[in-house]
Amino acid sequence: MKQERFVALHGSDWDTLESWLRQVEARPQRTMRSPEAVSFPADYRRLCHHLALARARGYSREVTERLQRIVDRGHRLLYRPPAPRWRRMANFLIAGFPRLVRKEWRYMALAAALLYVPALICLLLVTFRPEFAHNVFGSTQLAEFERMYDPANRHIGRNSGTDLGMFGYYIMNNVGIAFRTFASGLVVGIGAVYVLAMNGVIFGALAGHLDNIGYGAPFWRFVVAHASFELTAIVIAGGAGLRLGLTLLAPGRQRRGPAMVEAGWIGAQLALGAFAMLVAAAFIEAFWSSVASFPDWLKYGSAMALWVLVGWWLLRGGAGESRGT
Amino acid sequence: MLDTIRQIETPEGVFLRLHAAGALPRAQAWLIDFAIRAAVFWAVMIPLALLGEGGMGIGALVVFAMTWVYSVVCEVWFGGQTLGKRALSLRVVGADGAPITLVPSVVRNLLRVVDMLPGVYGVGLISTLVDPHARRLGDVIAGTMVVHVVDTLGGNQVPTVPAEAPPRALSSEEQAIIVEFAERCPQLTPQRQRELADLLSPLTGQTGDAGVRRLVAFANYLLGRA
Repeated sequence: MKQERFVALHGSDWDTLESWLRQVEARPQRTMRSPEAVSFPADYRRLCHHLALARARGYSREVTERLQRIVDRGHRLLYRPPAPRWRRMANFLIAGFPRLVRKEWRYMALAAALLYVPALICLLLVTFRPEFAHNVFGSTQLAEFERMYDPANRHIGRNSGTDLGMFGYYIMNNVGIAFRTFASGLVVGIGAVYVLAMNGVIFGALAGHLDNIGYGAPFWRFVVAHASFELTAIVIAGGAGLRLGLTLLAPGRQRRGPAMVEAGWIGAQLALGAFAMLVAAAFIEAFWSSVASFPDWLKYGSAMALWVLVGWWLLRGGAGESRGT
Repeated sequence: MLDTIRQIETPEGVFLRLHAAGALPRAQAWLIDFAIRAAVFWAVMIPLALLGEGGMGIGALVVFAMTWVYSVVCEVWFGGQTLGKRALSLRVVGADGAPITLVPSVVRNLLRVVDMLPGVYGVGLISTLVDPHARRLGDVIAGTMVVHVVDTLGGNQVPTVPAEAPPRALSSEEQAIIVEFAERCPQLTPQRQRELADLLSPLTGQTGDAGVRRLVAFANYLLGRA
């Protein structure tokens, strides 16, 4: 069939489909409810057929390019992913995320060791050789920390700021750190190792120093509740980063490209979960941890409950359901 | 192929043609996005400054949203385009040419940290230069790519002249070349038309304007205009 006749025969179909596609792009909701939407898949596939014919018969660019562009648009619409749904997100947080954490437990254990072992070593070092604290912190920093955790303060853990102000600050700062920890893991894991070990050293040395000078009680009263979410989230983000970096080094029985795509996919999900955990941690830190007037039993009791909750959620969450839903 | 078009076969058995976008248009899109983010930040911070410490907290949330959330939300809910990409007619697509989903978008936007590394997108620039589809590292790992949106047509028509059959049978490729020449004719200068047509003087048997007219007449015949 000559090109001119082919265009004369089908050109109006192409125009109709193209104008309908333009309508969908302008106002998707209303157009998708119109009766023409029902015939769209069939129309689109007929158009694909026409494109294949046009290419096989060597029709000119004007025709093939025109069909190609309608096909590109149609493909975008037909294979459009469903909009993210709240229910699926909730399902992911309750069940999918803990399952993923358990599946990647080796990296999580490694990340936890990288955080807690330096913390423990520094805690012991500072406890038995108090001057070691000065190796970790400058003297202005130490003075700052001592002011933050002074038992005489009405608010603990900060010098100034309202609850809401600190909430925003914690979100920006902590989630930013978690995301960077994950991403910098791509550099063969170095970024993640650095962030984890550094936080461990600071945490351990600070705890030891404040214990030494008798400010231990306000410090632990402040951190113990939100640490459940915060430290665990940092460990998970670090583990995701380690997975990314170690997959780059040793992709296993897979080509490096697909292995990295898989590591990225898993890492992003872990980072999203860590993000949710850090939002929870920021809430607790800003509105609960900082209140100095709560009695000890309430502080430590609530912290215990939170640690049990986090542990139970990560160890048992989604265990009852069948996998792969 | 030497050009930057990536072909992807669809379930219908035809190929999508994705035009990879290079570093320059993407940098321009990023600059526009940056300006928009900075403008939003200032617009929000001025009234918030009056609220004191609590306002600063909301300001920090705005900074967080502008840094980490803006790109993901734009890409997932607005067809793979941030405002800057929309201005430059760019679009982020998934590995199969379909619109991007949440997890790949999160991957490519978190790994932006690495692409930005030595100062101003050093790693990203090298990656876009090395990769055949001009992807930065984040795109490689997310399995996504940034493409040019080409939705407008040239709309060139072969000028209608009395049809004339070519003196001998032509292969389909040769036919396509002649029709394409005739389609592009109106865009070319007369000198260039003559220059190209002269290459085919063994076929047309003529040179100069007469050769051009003859080729257009062949094209009319090949298109089926009797």
